[in-house]
Amino acid sequence: MDTTLARRDYHALNAMLNMYDCHGGIQFGKDREAVRQFFLQQVNPNTLVFPSLEEKLDHLITNDYYEEAPFRRHDAEFVKGLYRRAYAHGHRFRTFLGAFKFYTSYALKTFDGSRYLERYEDRVVATALYLGAGDEALASRLVDEMMTGRFQPATPTFLNAGKAQRGELVSCFLLRVEDNLESIGRGVNSALQLSKRGGGVALLLTNLREQGAPIKKIENQSSGVVPVMKLLEDSFSYANQLGARQGAGAVYLHAHHPDIMRFLDTKRENADEKIRIKTLSLGVVVPDVTFELAKRDEDMHLFSPYDVEREYGRPLSDLSVSALYDELVANPRVRKSTLRAREFFKTVAELQFESGYPYLLFEDTVNRANPIPGWINMSNLCSEILQVNTPSTYDASLGYETVGRDISCNLGSLNIAAAMASPDFGATVETAVRGLTSVSDQSHIDAVPSVARGNALSHAIGLGQMNLHGYLASRRVHYGSEEGVDFTDMYFYAVTYHALRASNRIAIERGTAFDGFEDSAYADGSYFEKYTERVWEPATARVRALFAEAGVRLPTRDDWRALRDSVREHGIYNQYLQAVPPTGSISYINDATASLHPVAARVEIRKEGKLGRVYYPAPHMDDDNQEFFRDAYEIGPEKIIDTYAAATRHVDQGLSCTLFFRDTATTRDLNKAQIHAWRKGLKTLYYIRLRQEALAGTGIENCLSCAL
Amino acid sequence: MTTSPAPLTDLSVTPPAFRRDPAARLRPVNWNRVTDEKDLEVWNRLTANFWLPEKVPLSNDLTAWRQRLTDGERTLTMRVFTGLTMLDTVQATVGEIVQIQDARTEHEEAVYTNIAFMQAVHARSYSSVFSTLSTTPEIDDAYRWAVDNDVLQQRCKTVLRHYYGDDPLKRKVASTLLSSLLLYAGFYLPLHFSTHALLTNTADMIRLILRDKAVHGYYSGYKYQRGLEQRTAAGREEMRDFTHGLLEELYELELRYSGELYEPLGLMDDVAVFVRYNANKALMNLGYPARFGPEETEVNPEILAALSPGADENHDFFSGSGSSYVMGKAEDTADDDWDF
Repeated sequence: MDTTLARRDYHALNAMLNMYDCHGGIQFGKDREAVRQFFLQQVNPNTLVFPSLEEKLDHLITNDYYEEAPFRRHDAEFVKGLYRRAYAHGHRFRTFLGAFKFYTSYALKTFDGSRYLERYEDRVVATALYLGAGDEALASRLVDEMMTGRFQPATPTFLNAGKAQRGELVSCFLLRVEDNLESIGRGVNSALQLSKRGGGVALLLTNLREQGAPIKKIENQSSGVVPVMKLLEDSFSYANQLGARQGAGAVYLHAHHPDIMRFLDTKRENADEKIRIKTLSLGVVVPDVTFELAKRDEDMHLFSPYDVEREYGRPLSDLSVSALYDELVANPRVRKSTLRAREFFKTVAELQFESGYPYLLFEDTVNRANPIPGWINMSNLCSEILQVNTPSTYDASLGYETVGRDISCNLGSLNIAAAMASPDFGATVETAVRGLTSVSDQSHIDAVPSVARGNALSHAIGLGQMNLHGYLASRRVHYGSEEGVDFTDMYFYAVTYHALRASNRIAIERGTAFDGFEDSAYADGSYFEKYTERVWEPATARVRALFAEAGVRLPTRDDWRALRDSVREHGIYNQYLQAVPPTGSISYINDATASLHPVAARVEIRKEGKLGRVYYPAPHMDDDNQEFFRDAYEIGPEKIIDTYAAATRHVDQGLSCTLFFRDTATTRDLNKAQIHAWRKGLKTLYYIRLRQEALAGTGIENCLSCAL
Repeated sequence: MTTSPAPLTDLSVTPPAFRRDPAARLRPVNWNRVTDEKDLEVWNRLTANFWLPEKVPLSNDLTAWRQRLTDGERTLTMRVFTGLTMLDTVQATVGEIVQIQDARTEHEEAVYTNIAFMQAVHARSYSSVFSTLSTTPEIDDAYRWAVDNDVLQQRCKTVLRHYYGDDPLKRKVASTLLSSLLLYAGFYLPLHFSTHALLTNTADMIRLILRDKAVHGYYSGYKYQRGLEQRTAAGREEMRDFTHGLLEELYELELRYSGELYEPLGLMDDVAVFVRYNANKALMNLGYPARFGPEETEVNPEILAALSPGADENHDFFSGSGSSYVMGKAEDTADDDWDF
């Protein structure tokens, strides 16, 4: 596409969303006009048109744009019917950002980038055929679920499925790094390999020996975790130049690692260039004991991972620091340093002001809720993936001595408003679970054997949700109100039932469960107790009515008992089923509000490397319901946490939960919100976002973003 | 009955007054006695907004710079940014510093030192863009162009003449016009680029600069209006005429300067509207009515919508660091907060 400065009026029209009209109204019409102009000026003239579908598919397959198998394993009539089915939905982009994002980032283009080869329907059909993997009924159902917007696969899947030149369909990778150079070298290599293939990569640094620890028994030799972070940061930005998608990485460190303050200080505004981390994301693993020490205003002890591993025969990441805390403190053979626990929390909050990082992972909460044997010690780039892992060992030439299990996860989200309108809610969830399972079955990450092995044994998937705020507002329910929280609770309750049932059905069909099922809380039935021991139903009349009007039946205790018995007998196919990602891009093309978050603004100003600055009106908002679109900064952290807490108790993995503050907040306000989140049972916290109001007198007249 | 002692401010002066009155007693700045709340408000805002160019991952713009911009666009960018560096150098080394001697409060003096430093950071940040994206010969060419360009020189010298003149209020007018009128024509380019997904990290940096400039222009305008209140009616009349005269002079220069830069790429019509819009904005900061009518100042919505100085961009963390983070206010938690 042309990249010169030629005027493109659709950008100007879109920008008018950020300015009131003369009656003080939001100019929704201008955005719709921007969509029209975008198609007229940009999409239609630049789309390659073929005389027939056959010729189009021939061309795309012969010229290596499409993979042959998904399109040729069915008879031509079926494929043609599938396209007709998709086009019959009469899809229209509701917002400029949706259309612009789709055609900029997802649609197949000629190799020189000058022509579009796909419309939205074509991408959906290619994805459905790929995920159907030969199953015509599944492919047809996927077309319906995607065209109605009920199910939206995550970016790597929706972007790549069916294409011949493509990256992986998996969103997220999580890698352990052990305390030796071979493992670090492998970690860097894997980060490069996985970034090239388009995934986000998180690495666990908790086990690396601290700065000043001995190497080959010689004291004061190790330089700690920070230089490894530097290596990783540079690796990610290098891979970024090759890939279609930004290479992005995260590192996790335990709060009681001796390098924790150095780790955090890499994000300081005035950090030295040698230690400053600009693009790598940081996460801190916080056990319960840290909160308890802070409560008593005591010092927290930091433990040398080098000594811990020698003393306990297991790396620090695989121990419960809370359970072992007193013993570790008392053990003279474990070197330790101290830090005031409250000072630690304050530093975390300071850094969040300056950079939005670190993410927090509440280690004990996560592990108490984990139905799978093992210890969860890290999360991913978006802090919603929470799975167990095991270490690998390497020989001197970096070959594997033992291939451990590392984590990958492919994601896809339901649009809550669309799913509630589904004629068969259970079937919608089931189709989504089957689509995601197909990605897992078709993914073999040979470049990183520990990831390939983990996936082959676990078939883990992450079914997410989006458009909570959009749905609630369209039903005139306030986000975070009693009804809003009640709905969230019951919605996830229903999704969890149907997701487990779908996974159970797959296990029955294939005669196999995930590896290690026998030792899980599913196998002994204990997982189901919370659903069979008490009655779950809406607490408010409004929410009861919402489900009744939508015709979505809530599972009963008998349903759960039957499911429990079937699961105990046949197992479930997927080791993990749900994870709620932040849904940036896909919520724009799906016309949804992101994830379970409140809108960032009634008209969001979105800034991305590939898009530039674009304006996005809140989905479902019109002139009459704006009071229900109070933004995340107005709603404040408490209601967001309460909403997430209601969902968290049903989700086996985690949920990306961003907290939003105005710049009048202090580090104490952030800490209070974190304490609240931990107490309410949230498993992780994602970014902190801040909004600073323009100083009175410096704003732009008629500008929506200054009239908050 | 005892009379309370005369306030310290009557008995002593702040250090800049030494030049006029070497015998006077000196007084340290006292932030516990703030006489103009605006000083504290602006100081707090400026310090919370502190940033350094190193925080912005400018190298993410390399692909766009090398592969997507035309030669003409690259040259334009280099020159526009060299021009901005020139203006920020003027402000950092002279414009803000000379206003210290005119300060109406001791806190205002401190605010100018902060503004001067941040202007130096801005001047420095363009160099970060250069060294990340460009090569030494190209950078040297751009600086030579700046030194050789008569209109650019004249633009600066017109302002500098008043900085070194003898009227404190004329300094304020000159400074406000530089901040609100001259600089903004340079910001047009990165804002325009960023809407089209070009140099978006550079645009993040420019938004950080804009965030500062909005406050700087507003503050000198505010202080100008306080100063003007002390003048006689005739004095106020004179200042109004002076302001309009200087505005016309700079406006003409700006059209010539920007025209030379933007004309070849066909952007000048748009930029001229933007210059007029900013001229009005400068006058507004100084408390005067608009010079240009609404139909002459209808700025392209994509630029206008991008101008908001608030930190409200919802950025994608994976492609940039954003422009919304501020220095946090540290506050200890209390025992009650940990009541669980």
